[in-house]
Amino acid sequence: MECTSCKRQITPKEKMVKFPCPECGEDIIRCEKCRVLANNYKCPKCSFEGP
Amino acid sequence: MTDDMLVPLDQYLASGIHIGTQQKTKDMDKYIYRVRQDGLYVLDIKTTDQRLRSVANFLANYDPTRILVVSTRVYGHKPVKTFAQYINCRSVAGRFIPGMLTNPNNNDFLEPDLLIITDPRADYQALKEASNIGIPIIALCDSENMLSNVDISVPTNNKGRKALSLIYYLLARELLRKKGTIPEDGDIDFGFEEFKQP
Repeated sequence: MECTSCKRQITPKEKMVKFPCPECGEDIIRCEKCRVLANNYKCPKCSFEGP
Repeated sequence: MTDDMLVPLDQYLASGIHIGTQQKTKDMDKYIYRVRQDGLYVLDIKTTDQRLRSVANFLANYDPTRILVVSTRVYGHKPVKTFAQYINCRSVAGRFIPGMLTNPNNNDFLEPDLLIITDPRADYQALKEASNIGIPIIALCDSENMLSNVDISVPTNNKGRKALSLIYYLLARELLRKKGTIPEDGDIDFGFEEFKQP
């Protein structure tokens, strides 16, 4: 799995979160580091920006 | 501009959901519209309105019984309880007992799929535990909040009595509309006064 923010591969042991995009339902994946640092993410399909 | 908003602009302004604080964080910079002469940061109402729609859309993907709404703030107690009552989700108003999401031996142990918090600073314990178990977190954020561990933020005044009641009312109404419980242009049989903390 790849983090939507930093595009880094997430190993199975790492903490992460996966949720559907609020606009289009495409899966958004965030690694622990990007969550803690509040790094922005952008939906690859509809360009919804968060957090 | 007012036509495509969830409620008229005047109602948003009267509830003061755009009023921020005298501090701002870098995380919330993009949601700030301007600075008032008295130093208060004003939040962008249009973004708040759009975010409320997006969040309602997002909540519709989840089973309501697996959603947890938390408010440690006193002004958020009634809105949170009323929201939970109409949406049929779980709520914690008041102290969030540590271990509620992480300790299975705890009597109040819950396993939600989604967490909604009223203030990332006041509800820090819930935020921390939810990030540990890896569930998405939606937070109502003021201009002074950090967005650490928050997945979807709703920029709004999270300290005012009227502001919190309006936000939770709109969220409940939009979610019921999305789920088809009430018609697309329909309203719930109670006003936003029902959500207001006495």
